Amino acid sequence: MTSLTVTNASVSGRIADVGLSLAPGMLAGLVGPNGSGKSTLLQVAAGLLPATGGVSWSGREVNEILIPERGRLTAWVPQEARFEFGFSVRSVVAQGRYARGDDECGVDEALRQLDLTSLAHRPVNRLSGGEKQRVMLARALVTEAPLQLWDEPLAPLDPRHALEVLTHARRLTRAGTTVLFSLHDLRAAYCLDFVVVLHQGRLRAAGPPEKVLTPELLMEVFGVRAKQSLGLTLELP
Amino acid sequence: MTPPWVHRVAFPVALFLLGLLALTSLAIGDMHLSPVRIFSGLLHRDELAATILWNIRLPRMLVSMMVGAALASSGLVMQAYFRNSLASPGLLGVSSGGAAGAVVMIGLGWASASIFVLPVAAILGAMISTTVVIMLARRGASTERLLLAGVALNALLGAVTSYVLANFTLSYERNARILFWMLGGLEDRTWEHVLMASPIILAGALLWPLGRPMDLLSLGAREAQSLGVDIKRLRRSMLALSTVLTALATAVAGTVGFVGLIVPHLLRLLVGPEHKRLVPLTLIGGAAFVLACDLISRSAGGLRVGIVTSLIGGPFFIWLLRRQA
Repeated sequence: MTSLTVTNASVSGRIADVGLSLAPGMLAGLVGPNGSGKSTLLQVAAGLLPATGGVSWSGREVNEILIPERGRLTAWVPQEARFEFGFSVRSVVAQGRYARGDDECGVDEALRQLDLTSLAHRPVNRLSGGEKQRVMLARALVTEAPLQLWDEPLAPLDPRHALEVLTHARRLTRAGTTVLFSLHDLRAAYCLDFVVVLHQGRLRAAGPPEKVLTPELLMEVFGVRAKQSLGLTLELP
Repeated sequence: MTPPWVHRVAFPVALFLLGLLALTSLAIGDMHLSPVRIFSGLLHRDELAATILWNIRLPRMLVSMMVGAALASSGLVMQAYFRNSLASPGLLGVSSGGAAGAVVMIGLGWASASIFVLPVAAILGAMISTTVVIMLARRGASTERLLLAGVALNALLGAVTSYVLANFTLSYERNARILFWMLGGLEDRTWEHVLMASPIILAGALLWPLGRPMDLLSLGAREAQSLGVDIKRLRRSMLALSTVLTALATAVAGTVGFVGLIVPHLLRLLVGPEHKRLVPLTLIGGAAFVLACDLISRSAGGLRVGIVTSLIGGPFFIWLLRRQA
């Protein structure tokens, strides 16, 4: 049984013929240069963008799942959150429980995990980019959805919060949740179970990072030379 | 953030204010009526008071309240739909669309055929406006784009109205009716107008359950859909309700501007952006605001209510723009 299966997905001018399948409990990364179709693929996988081809979650075709139920099965975090109105941080996080009858279950825990407890009553439209991203991640966590799709969750975060998010993602996957997220930090990608490489809207490679992220591929896709070195290593205390 | 006690008292205070304004609206006029006389008039124990109340003041009061509730809640819905706190039926040209529909019917002389002609024409006009605005300014559009779409549409619809005024050979009475629609007013409203506007109550009630999904929508359509909101259905309901609300208000009172901008905005500042509180408070607040403006217009020697709301709304709008900048 797979958690997410995308078959021959195409969106005109953005992605073409992308196929991908992830097992439950997998921590997977989506890498590729700017404009390679990462955000598009995540939205297609979340059932938010119509595409030719097929998407199924745990063997069920997405188009056949009613929208309220979809809210319980997947969580999607956009690359950049835009808040026009001053909802409080807590109320935005609590929206993650909409598909489960707005029961507020786990909201305080998610606030704590994403280091948002002290900001709980702050209006979201007055937060920094990184704080907004943590609010969106907390909202995704409270959904308890078994498939989590996050678009560049680490990009606006400082090193400590980025490491914490990776730790939470790892904890979720241990409990059977599948997490797929896009990222630019190739060093972080090495810590994941599975890496999907997109290039010019097509799937270039997929598999365990040490097999996929070869110097040849990095040169071809990103135009960078990879060198093994013992640089700065960051970890949570 | 709003302190919790504000949430607790907001609803009772708003209801109390509305009641007070309603009572004042029944009391003042050429002949002042005391609360006791109002009471006996309503029960037909005082025939003079009964005539004044049942024939003149009560229908006017009810129409004012329904128009206010309709325009304010329509503004609230549009702000959530466009995710822009400057969206409102007046600025986006939806009111003008409704007015143009009504004016064309008056110009053609069809308005007197049935009491349904004007509301239906206003709904059609408002629907056309809504469609054009959606085409011109996509959802999540910038304030500039949204306002420019409204400017363009208001200019176009103003031209339609002027054309009817200038090129149809009209009786003095029809010209006066058209002018009434352009300026917005609550004079001489009868039980027929109350009946015409009464679907506003139903539309207002239908808004109630949309409050929670509107919270989610105002933070982004894809985000809301990913959380389990049926966006297509929600947006259709929101557009239908806001268009019908504006159109009905316009059909009975002409273009009364800025209500949909001022009321939701002030209430959002007061109680926060959550729609479960905003929807009922906007309905009550809108009713209270137009009732208050009507009282000002009556005290100021028959100044049209549309002029009063514009005199308040114009400076308020400029303040909002400065605040956003």
